[in-house]
Amino acid sequence: MSDFKVIGQRVPKVDARRKVTGHQEYADDLRMPGMLYGKIVRCMEYAHAKVTKLDLSQAAKAPGVVKVLGPKDVTQKGYNSGVLDLMVPEPVGQMLGDIEDQLVFTDHVKFQGDAIAGIIATSEEAAERAAELIQVEYEPLPVYLTAEEAKKPDAVQFTPLKPGNLAFALPIQMFPDGAAYAWGDSEAGFAEADLIVEETFTLPKVKQCQMEPHTYVARYGDGGRLNCWTSTQMPKCIHNKLARLFELPMSRVHVIQTTVGGGFGCRLGMIAEPQVCAMAMAVQGKPVKVSLLREEDWLGSESRHPGKYKMKIGFKKDGTPISMDAHWISEGGGYYTHASGVQFTLGAWLAGTYKWTNFRFKGDRYYTNTTPCGAYRGYGNPQNNFAMEQLIDRALNQLGIDKVEWRKKWHKTVGDDGWCMGVTYASCGLDECLDKGAKAIGWEDKIKKYAKQTGSKRRGVGVAVMTHTSGAMPMLLEHTTCTVKINEDATAELIFSCSDLGTGAHTSLQQIGAETLGFPLEDVHVRAQDSDISGFDIGAHASRTLYVGGSAVIEACEDAKRQILERAATALEANQDDLVMENKKVFVKGSPDKSIDVATICYQGVYNWVMPDTGNWIGIPGQIQGYSSYFAKHNSPPWSACFVEVEVDTETGQVKVLDCVAASDVGKAIHPPSVEGQVEGGIQQGFGQSCMEAMIYDEKGLCLNNTFADYRMFGPSDMPKITNILVEEHDPFGPYGAKSAGEGGQVAPTGAIANAIYNALGIQFTEGPITPERILKAIKEKGLQA
Amino acid sequence: MSSRVLPVFDLLLPSNLEEAVGLLSQHGDQAAVMAGGTDLLVGMKVGMSPAFILSLADIQGLDYVAFDAKHGLRIGAMATLSQVVDSKVVNDKYHALWYSAFTNGTPQTRNAGTVVGNILRASPAGDCCCAALAHGGSVLLQGPAGKREVDLDEFWLDYRKTARKPDEVAVELKLKAPEHGYGSGFAALTRSYQDLAKINAAARVIMDGKVCRKVRLAMGAVAPITLRLKEAEKVLTGQEVTDQLLEQMAAAVRKEVKPIDDVRSTAEYRREVAGVLAKRVVQDAIKSVAGPCPYSCFMGA
Amino acid sequence: MKKRSISLTVNGTVHDLEVPVHRTLLQVLREDLDQVETKYGCGTGECGACTVLVDGEKAILGCLTLAASMDGKSITTVAGLEKDGQLHPVQEAFIEEHAIQCGYCTPGMVCKSVSILAKNPKPSEEEIRHNLEGNICRCTGYVKIVQAVQRASERI
Ligand SMILES: Cc1cc2nc3c(=O)[nH]c(=O)nc-3n(C[C@H](O)[C@H](O)[C@H](O)COP(=O)(O)OP(=O)(O)OC[C@H]3O[C@@H](n4cnc5c(N)ncnc54)[C@H](O)[C@@H]3O)c2cc1C
Ligand code: FES
Ligand code: FES
Repeated sequence: MSDFKVIGQRVPKVDARRKVTGHQEYADDLRMPGMLYGKIVRCMEYAHAKVTKLDLSQAAKAPGVVKVLGPKDVTQKGYNSGVLDLMVPEPVGQMLGDIEDQLVFTDHVKFQGDAIAGIIATSEEAAERAAELIQVEYEPLPVYLTAEEAKKPDAVQFTPLKPGNLAFALPIQMFPDGAAYAWGDSEAGFAEADLIVEETFTLPKVKQCQMEPHTYVARYGDGGRLNCWTSTQMPKCIHNKLARLFELPMSRVHVIQTTVGGGFGCRLGMIAEPQVCAMAMAVQGKPVKVSLLREEDWLGSESRHPGKYKMKIGFKKDGTPISMDAHWISEGGGYYTHASGVQFTLGAWLAGTYKWTNFRFKGDRYYTNTTPCGAYRGYGNPQNNFAMEQLIDRALNQLGIDKVEWRKKWHKTVGDDGWCMGVTYASCGLDECLDKGAKAIGWEDKIKKYAKQTGSKRRGVGVAVMTHTSGAMPMLLEHTTCTVKINEDATAELIFSCSDLGTGAHTSLQQIGAETLGFPLEDVHVRAQDSDISGFDIGAHASRTLYVGGSAVIEACEDAKRQILERAATALEANQDDLVMENKKVFVKGSPDKSIDVATICYQGVYNWVMPDTGNWIGIPGQIQGYSSYFAKHNSPPWSACFVEVEVDTETGQVKVLDCVAASDVGKAIHPPSVEGQVEGGIQQGFGQSCMEAMIYDEKGLCLNNTFADYRMFGPSDMPKITNILVEEHDPFGPYGAKSAGEGGQVAPTGAIANAIYNALGIQFTEGPITPERILKAIKEKGLQA
Repeated sequence: MSSRVLPVFDLLLPSNLEEAVGLLSQHGDQAAVMAGGTDLLVGMKVGMSPAFILSLADIQGLDYVAFDAKHGLRIGAMATLSQVVDSKVVNDKYHALWYSAFTNGTPQTRNAGTVVGNILRASPAGDCCCAALAHGGSVLLQGPAGKREVDLDEFWLDYRKTARKPDEVAVELKLKAPEHGYGSGFAALTRSYQDLAKINAAARVIMDGKVCRKVRLAMGAVAPITLRLKEAEKVLTGQEVTDQLLEQMAAAVRKEVKPIDDVRSTAEYRREVAGVLAKRVVQDAIKSVAGPCPYSCFMGA
Repeated sequence: MKKRSISLTVNGTVHDLEVPVHRTLLQVLREDLDQVETKYGCGTGECGACTVLVDGEKAILGCLTLAASMDGKSITTVAGLEKDGQLHPVQEAFIEEHAIQCGYCTPGMVCKSVSILAKNPKPSEEEIRHNLEGNICRCTGYVKIVQAVQRASERI
């Protein structure tokens, strides 16, 4: 497998030059004749209120205002910004209880930042100034920020469809074990255990913080077609959702994906597409641009699910993990959104990592008056990692077992059930990740050295591991399409719909296309972002673009290649099986002089005439196009181990990250620098979630830190040196042996850094983020071991 | 309110100080003075809406950083934080101020933002405020009646409120000349490396061997204004500085501060680390008496 | 005054403009001059997406600069760094080190890197990191960006 021509090469990314020169266009960079500017008016004063009066008349009269829209001026249909409902069979959707509880503009404000009206004006400035003239009166309602408050019997109901404000719990029809994802008997397991540890962890509400704020352009015109330019992660699902919301046939909805300025899940499903399209429908023929302000993006687009994680685990003396019982209770925000998705996968990944003899997981999600929760890199898995990996370390300390050794012994592996029962792991390089990572960080020495420390600077090392997913199969529909169109000069266009969020996915897919066709890389062009052109795809999520999309590219390219060989066989009067294609030539095996240029075949496919002298066709007519409508056959998750070394200043509680080693088994690394980039970016986000980041609300439900000044992240000087180890354990199902690399990078750093702090201080932190304030308080209360 | 669009205002661009003062006497309370604008413009994007902005940009000759051994350091109203970071004399002689500028904001905000703007902003968390208060000095104000100097000890009246009258322009910040045995130190605790301080502290000492002859100790983000910690200073003054004495001083610091909870930190934490930070800046100040500061390897962009 | 006539040079082209005084340099660049390569990320000075260079080397923020105060100034945006089809060494290094993911921070990050090296052609890693503060990248963990500045520094 080492004789790849382009796969595994560190080629420049397809879009690098455009991006480094500033030529790459993002949605906010679009300019169109007659463009109007939309402003979504949001309730900023309350987190829960009824709009009792909305007077738009002053705003309507303001200079430059073209139209104002209240809740009654737009479609009354509800929607769900998430797309999971599209991806499960209808009966399953009914069992899950997915609902559409969002409105374009609402008169029942459910979180600060909920959209209540729209203004369309001739300039952004005019729209902003007019928004200040809107007069609104509210009747404040009680604010529920926690599950405890939301589930009280007398609480105001967010929707009549979800009594008790319980948006989601694993349905008993699907999970008969007391509505829990389970095997064995966890209670019996605990009865057998020599050691039981239990704890309730608190996970913060963190934000994707993609650098490009959500921005859109929409135009309704062109013979009744709705066009929407959006940097969504899932153009084809948006295509379907917008058609449904505005009751148009899909042929009359056109979604053009603009460059994605960072995704991380924040562009899963619809964010403000419903509002911008509703505005465009109100001013037919005119393009309307809506550019969210950063402070508005923060509140109005989805965050990660925060919550309480009750976890109890039992072990035998020898370390056998005999039982796990976990209950996740999430505070999910003002709308249903991803209620079923995250709560389910969270449990699934909890189940997917280690070989618990008995296992039980329950997941509930309540409505709260906070920004709705949706997808964020890892989709539940980082929450698991923070809780489970810490709790396991606590137990291992009591059992006196080495943390690396235990993980090597008890992680699931090839042949075991994956995160969905019935789909087994087909490859696993985690042992190698753990071995190489431990060596690189100097695990054994440091564990010994840090066991006894004095003074105010304490160091610690921590490890955590994870497995994630490669695609949405089997939980969701896992389907994508790819067309490869061969031009008459034997160059190719790869057309598909998976977006590249900047991850390098298109570069990797280009490499796969070139490798499969045997074309030079520069002869393969990728086109991916237009619903009029590309076929079906479920979007860039679930770490699927390379694993599933890559397989589709292979299938489509092989289809094209087969057609080329068929025609070559006719031209060379040879058996197809005797042909080889190399350097854009087809030869007969053993007689290299019998050959034909691929370019000749492709040219003749396009430019074909009946020759007047012979009365014959000059070759075989018909442009060669390969096609694949691909349904993933398997799911081969990636694995990784993360090692972190920290130094804690015990007088101030400040944590300095000294070193980080990430060892990842992503299968074949198609484009290694892209894989490294995913890991490195994931570490920045994982550390942030564990140690720094959290949306903070006051008691009225108003967010206190919806800016980069108040919501801090790890910056260039906070990040440590990173050692990136790629373990390329070939996967039998993945394209050229590849697994996924997108989300996984964020998962293990969350647990690893927490465990490093635990190792440094001997104190475990159950509440995230682990801030200096919490550290210092704990040191004061619990004292330091000498 | 929008982070993309500023509210409408009228721009006043005087070309000398007299004109500036004249315009301020006319527009008084409705005008905001702008130096680098890194604070003012952010404020205007989150709700402030002055009718006039009086920009100092067109007034020549306000961007000086000047030192002489007798009078000390003078920093003009338009001297940027970057200029101060690049100044060898500040780095050598006013280490606390230098460090407070070095860690203040980002290279871009340091290129535009001024030291005097930091003082006038009167944020209790202002980094240069804290360092300047420790060094000791005054703000030179120019108004219709001429110039006056206000001691930094009297300059900040309340949260974001200064002794400057609406018709006055701050012309320069003056810091006292160093004496023999002079040293200073600054430190801030932040959430991430670059961040507004949760708490900051600065000390200026005048040492006589191991004995602390004089000390000024300042702390930020522990009260509505940057605080002088006079009780703590008393503990040190005239004493040989020992670990035990520093502990005593730290205890005094914890009593003197009046912190609150906010997004950046908690009152409890601030009180707890106030003593630690005070000890550290005093130790740094003492160290800096002997020689050049350890941070001079860094130079801002 | 509510409007001011200014002469602003952007990437070598002189523009005589009549700008409302409340408009930021970022607005004028993007909306009036169609220099959309300079990005809005936060508008409040924290993210650095709007970073441009004054006199080819000093990094400033478009979002916190009044266009009216830029009379007579010369601005370089990321699009002005390429000369006759030849990329700036910093741009080349960003491509070669794969320091670009979504690319939204890139225009500001590249301008910032140019300013760092203009002031200090051989910065240490610590100095690079210190001076990259103020430019947020959520994709890369800064690893490859730091490497790109180091690589560019070898060439300048
Ligand atoms: C991203 C970012 C990070 C920051 N980080 C820090 C930090 O770490 N530490 C910190 O302390 N600050 C920080 N700041 C705040 C600010 O940048 C600094 O305080 C800076 O020193 C302010 O200077 P300026 O010249 O820009 O002030 P301006 O915005 O011009 O003015 C600030 C205030 O002072 C008044 N003023 C200014 N000059 C005069 C004068 N000559 N006469 C009368 N009144 C005057 C103004 O009216 C205004 O109220 C940060 C700001 C940003 C945007
Ligand atoms: S947009 Fe200017 S710093 Fe973020
Ligand atoms: S590359 Fe996406 S923010 Fe930097």
